[in-house]
Amino acid sequence: MLKIIQMNKILIVSVILILSLPSAKAQGMKLDEILGKYYKNAGFDKLQDAKTIIMTGTMTQQTIMPLKIIKKRPDKYMQEFDVQDQTGYQVYDGQMAWMTAPWTPDPRPQVMPEDRTVDLRSRADFDGPIYNWKAKGHKAELEGVDTLGNAKAYKIKLTRADAAIEYYFIDSESFLLIKKSSFRKMQGQDVEIENFFKDFRTINGIMFSFESENLMGGNPYSLIQYDTIEVDAEVSDKLFAMPE
Amino acid sequence: MKVMGIKKVFYLSIIGLLIHSFSTAQEVLQWRGDQRSGVYHEKNLLKVWPETGLDLLWEFPELGAGYGSPAITTKNIFINGEMDAESYLLSLDLTGKLIWKSKIGPEWVASYPGSRTTPTVVGELVYVTTGMGKVACFEAQTGKVKWSLDMVGDLHGRNTRFGFSESVLVDGNSVFCCPGSPDTNVVALDRITGKIKWICKALGQLPAYCSPLLIKLPARIILLTFTRNALLAIDTKDGKLLWTHEQQGDGDVHVNTPLFDNGFIYYIAGNGNGTVKLQLSEDGAGITEIWKNQDCDGLMGGFIKMDDFIYASGYVNRVWYSLDANTGSIVDTLAFNTGSTIFADGLLYLYNEKGQLGLCKPNGPKLEIINSFKIIKGTKAHFAHPVICNGILYLRRGNSLLAYDIKNKS
Repeated sequence: MLKIIQMNKILIVSVILILSLPSAKAQGMKLDEILGKYYKNAGFDKLQDAKTIIMTGTMTQQTIMPLKIIKKRPDKYMQEFDVQDQTGYQVYDGQMAWMTAPWTPDPRPQVMPEDRTVDLRSRADFDGPIYNWKAKGHKAELEGVDTLGNAKAYKIKLTRADAAIEYYFIDSESFLLIKKSSFRKMQGQDVEIENFFKDFRTINGIMFSFESENLMGGNPYSLIQYDTIEVDAEVSDKLFAMPE
Repeated sequence: MKVMGIKKVFYLSIIGLLIHSFSTAQEVLQWRGDQRSGVYHEKNLLKVWPETGLDLLWEFPELGAGYGSPAITTKNIFINGEMDAESYLLSLDLTGKLIWKSKIGPEWVASYPGSRTTPTVVGELVYVTTGMGKVACFEAQTGKVKWSLDMVGDLHGRNTRFGFSESVLVDGNSVFCCPGSPDTNVVALDRITGKIKWICKALGQLPAYCSPLLIKLPARIILLTFTRNALLAIDTKDGKLLWTHEQQGDGDVHVNTPLFDNGFIYYIAGNGNGTVKLQLSEDGAGITEIWKNQDCDGLMGGFIKMDDFIYASGYVNRVWYSLDANTGSIVDTLAFNTGSTIFADGLLYLYNEKGQLGLCKPNGPKLEIINSFKIIKGTKAHFAHPVICNGILYLRRGNSLLAYDIKNKS
């Protein structure tokens, strides 16, 4: 009888140990280790050699819109997208941000205000804000482990040098970024933008997500799907210059 | 004398062959072909496409912006496009060479800029509309304008969020159009002179982007079209409003041309009642609603009815639906996003808004994709409905008209 109780005890303890393994592992890993594995598995070493990235696909909101993102090292960024089948641009040329929106009353190129420039400047960071975060003046903290569907993910809070806060969720198995959370000021309120990354594929040794589901304030907002991602295609600096 | 007889037989045979070849050549003279149904009466088309996609016979890349499909005769292709805010009607030969280009008038350049209608060809005349409301009649041979009028300026019409989008319907001596004003809601024009024949005030609602359908009954001929909140049935003899079928909700985009089949009217108003079957009375003066299905809510891709099934794509759920035409229930779905649907030689052609052109076998209720490939030529949105004529699939994407070979040569 005693033997059976003891065996049950061992079994229960074993199950508890197995169940608690990921969190123990999570708690055991340090921020630098997690980020190191993320950089390795996502191919950041290869990314350092890349000079340009062109991502072409669609964004589905109510309708399907073509979308193209062009990035050039170190900090040039262009997003080309269609609204009502009219093409608009949001661009950061390394110093200032400008945009066009031909569906508005004023279709001419316009310099973007500082609050929107901040966002674009961050997107223009070729390696992303979390890579080499210390040198960029940001602050990163490991906040623990979150459950995202069936996955456990390390939750990292990044306080950028410009005071904006972002959360990065690194999958505890693949060590890839599976979610990013940021905040956008809308009508005086901070609204959470959540990007869930899927469909990972390797291009030139770099891991890219070809699909992201995006939520705004907890509600489905858009689906981005890339058809092609090109690394190191020829891109002229002139592309990012604001037209006269 | 015997030689004369042989010669006569020979010449008669040649003439017979020529007549035969002309009589078997298909034409697509209006929006979505005969009865505006999207069914193209073609035979011997490919049943499976090459892995790399269809062979492109030619591309004409200078149409200007737009979403309208071509009309095709035995000699010409007619299509319109927007260039520098003006709308043009273009005539091409069947190898894609420009014959003439004529200015119609200002074109819609706001939301979804570009031409948005398909020309209608009757004999030697071509009828077109622009997004800004111009209705015009051109000589097919020369491109010379015969008459034109402005639905806004001349008929007090009112434009809409996305511009006038009606491909005009022509029957007998009449051209029908929907200016959408309270006093001149739907109008019949003399097709030779452009003069007003009758005016129907209908419900006084704004147009709803619909290209109308004609139903020919022994008792009367009915024009079926949508305005903002209702399906309208109008007697084409005098413009009398016969009945209406009100739409639920505030949606105002009812693009899909209804279908009449064996005493029943089918329509899909994704922005209104969804998919609906109505029974039309024998004299056409009344209707009885048979069923309604709001889940199948296609917005502008048209639909196909084959035997007991209706095939169309949805709007909220981006899938293709197969519906039982007797009950209205959804019997199958196909994950292929959303877009336009046409039919030829036993197969469905699906062109989705992501640019994929798919060949699909409708196996009764079941939908099965055989092949698909992505359209990368052309510009802007993948909205225009494909057209099939004489073994060629014509596809418009913005500036480009693409002609693909779909003949089965084996």
